[in-house]
Amino acid sequence: MAAKLATKSPDQLTQRRPGASYLARRRRVGYLLVMPAIIALALVAIYPLIYNLVLSSRFDVATEPGTQHFVGLQNYHSLMTDPAFWGDLLHTGIFVVISVTLEFVAGMILALVVNRKFRARGLVRASILIPWAIPTAVSALLWKMFFDIRSGFVDFALKSLHLPGAQAVWFNSPILAWVPIILSDMWKNTPFIALLLLAGLQTIPQEIYESAKIDGASAWQSFWSLTLPLLRPAILVALIFRTLSAMLVFDTIFVMTGGGPGRSTEVIAYYNWYKYMVSLNFGYGAAVAVVITILALLLAAIYVRILRQREGFVT
Amino acid sequence: MVNNTRVKRGTVGVFSAVFLTAALAGCGSSTQASGSKTVKLVFATQGLGTEAQATAQAVKEFEKLHPHIHVQIETLSASSNSAYQTLVTDLNSGSATPDVITSDVIWPPTFAAAKWIMPLNQFHPNMSKFYPGMVKAGEYQGKLYAIPWFINVEGLYYRTNLVKTPPRTFTQLAADARAAMAKNPKLIGLAFEGNKYEGAVTVFQDVSGGFGGSFLNSKGQPVLNSPQNIRALTWLDNAIKSGLSPKAVTGWEEGNVQQAFLSGGAVFATNWPYLYPLAEQKGSKVANQVGFVPTPVQGGKPTASLGGDDLVINKNTKYPKQAWELVKFLTSAKTMTQRALISGDPPARTDAYTPSLLKKAPWFKQEEAVYADATPRPVTPLYPRISARIQEALSATYSGQLTPKQALDQAQKAVQAIVSGHGG
Repeated sequence: MAAKLATKSPDQLTQRRPGASYLARRRRVGYLLVMPAIIALALVAIYPLIYNLVLSSRFDVATEPGTQHFVGLQNYHSLMTDPAFWGDLLHTGIFVVISVTLEFVAGMILALVVNRKFRARGLVRASILIPWAIPTAVSALLWKMFFDIRSGFVDFALKSLHLPGAQAVWFNSPILAWVPIILSDMWKNTPFIALLLLAGLQTIPQEIYESAKIDGASAWQSFWSLTLPLLRPAILVALIFRTLSAMLVFDTIFVMTGGGPGRSTEVIAYYNWYKYMVSLNFGYGAAVAVVITILALLLAAIYVRILRQREGFVT
Repeated sequence: MVNNTRVKRGTVGVFSAVFLTAALAGCGSSTQASGSKTVKLVFATQGLGTEAQATAQAVKEFEKLHPHIHVQIETLSASSNSAYQTLVTDLNSGSATPDVITSDVIWPPTFAAAKWIMPLNQFHPNMSKFYPGMVKAGEYQGKLYAIPWFINVEGLYYRTNLVKTPPRTFTQLAADARAAMAKNPKLIGLAFEGNKYEGAVTVFQDVSGGFGGSFLNSKGQPVLNSPQNIRALTWLDNAIKSGLSPKAVTGWEEGNVQQAFLSGGAVFATNWPYLYPLAEQKGSKVANQVGFVPTPVQGGKPTASLGGDDLVINKNTKYPKQAWELVKFLTSAKTMTQRALISGDPPARTDAYTPSLLKKAPWFKQEEAVYADATPRPVTPLYPRISARIQEALSATYSGQLTPKQALDQAQKAVQAIVSGHGG
């Protein structure tokens, strides 16, 4: 976005003011300045993407050296007809919807709370970020231990409160296994959403709320018709980031269940890892990666469309 | 014919080599700067604590013997899975380093098929003193690709104060456990590894072999849903369902089993030799109450899944001769004995069990009896894929999603597709 704006505005300026060699020079400097970023982007994003595209059209299995050849869309065809892929895609979809919804609601509440003035607000704001700063694999391992029947506190807590679920072997049930996975993901990522929403909340001037109050709006009304619409850009950014990273969830599942029991918690990123690292089928793995990339782009496009305001929003 | 992907991959390889060289130069080792003919080998290995200590000491002694070879130890992740991924990435890029690699006993066929490691027959290794099962696990298409470094076999630990003689059959094992549990209801009958991971496959192989089953037949075709295998999986599943093993074992790995057994809370446990010295050390709750035997037999033969580590050499190494010198030194009887004394890793060759070693670590005598039944997992480059399907079947059974027969039928179908090259 920023790069686009920077290249656009000098353009518009040149049209308005003729004979501006100074501006032409400035524009060149502008290009030069963004060049390193573009080169870096090309190296780390565009090159692998193209490499992956090429690879996905080939038969390339490490354990069968010397047999690599072009196969066109064969890998994609196998992928589309693999029931395991569709099963994993369904798991991923369910995980994304549940975890992002819960994280969004919790993140919003958290953001609204820490946006109020109270004692030790700075301390609370800083401390809610701690889970987010912990590596995913570590937090997954932590939550796995919490739910361990012998050493975890979940079992103990449920038992002392006489709640159902005590003595449950969470990771041995195709449904229950999702509970620790989603909780671990929430614990880690809710602060991220809260942080983005908090930043959005702080750009809303207090006066609007005051005048709404004078007009007799209830707290709920002013949240619904003032806060939410004004928060739209921040919500969009938070949801895009979270949805995409939830779609690529891997570490949590790899550490907690390895896709089990059976394959009931397997997701598409796990499927991709399996094809690359276990099957060593690089062509097929690349095809999976390309499909995931396309899905991610589609999702992002849908979000932008749904949440874009008529007059456009400023990022 | 020029192969595009290979060329590109070669380019990536050159890039990473350049980066690596720059990085190594940055490390500024004095031997490089001197300009002599000193060769630098990179030795990628796993191991923490006493294992790392043993490796460091062996390497130091090697460098003393070979002043012109400098060995840089690159420690890979302690997790077998991550170490494997690092190696796959390194080797697939065509990198010349690491030169010498510690490889889990199940990796060499895959690495050999991918032409990432070199056959070692050219160096005329003398394999007569090594355990034959382990040597076999390092062969691929008639050539030797890996030299055993230390051996590991999975066996059955039992408490000599609770069970007088080790059980001969699985039925007897269950009865013995029940008898002990009747006296002390807090006891776990059998602690075993049931999580969805490689360790569950080795336990299943132990039991399956005891019932007379196997994963692949002599022609390399899968026989996963044989009646023997179904009987074996049903026995394990019943152990969980009948309370012989707690439901929690469905999430257990070696560490959990170790904890259960060392705390004195289990009658039987499946685990590897590393547990023995821990059980006999000072302050252990089960000291002098521990026996270690192959898993029982019920129509089959005693089967102790083979684990352990091999040493392999990168096919693209610039210094094959020096790399071989290092491998030869590390796998010599003397170095193995020393490693066993420092870290407890059981030597992979018979002549390393010297009287002085057996005196200091008497449990090696009991362990040696189990090595005799060492059974490798299927030696094929497809093994990682086959194992993944078996892991799925075990996990689906233990969680009650499928019956043992359904799960093994499904695994059989999947593995058939893998073996015939149409899936997985």
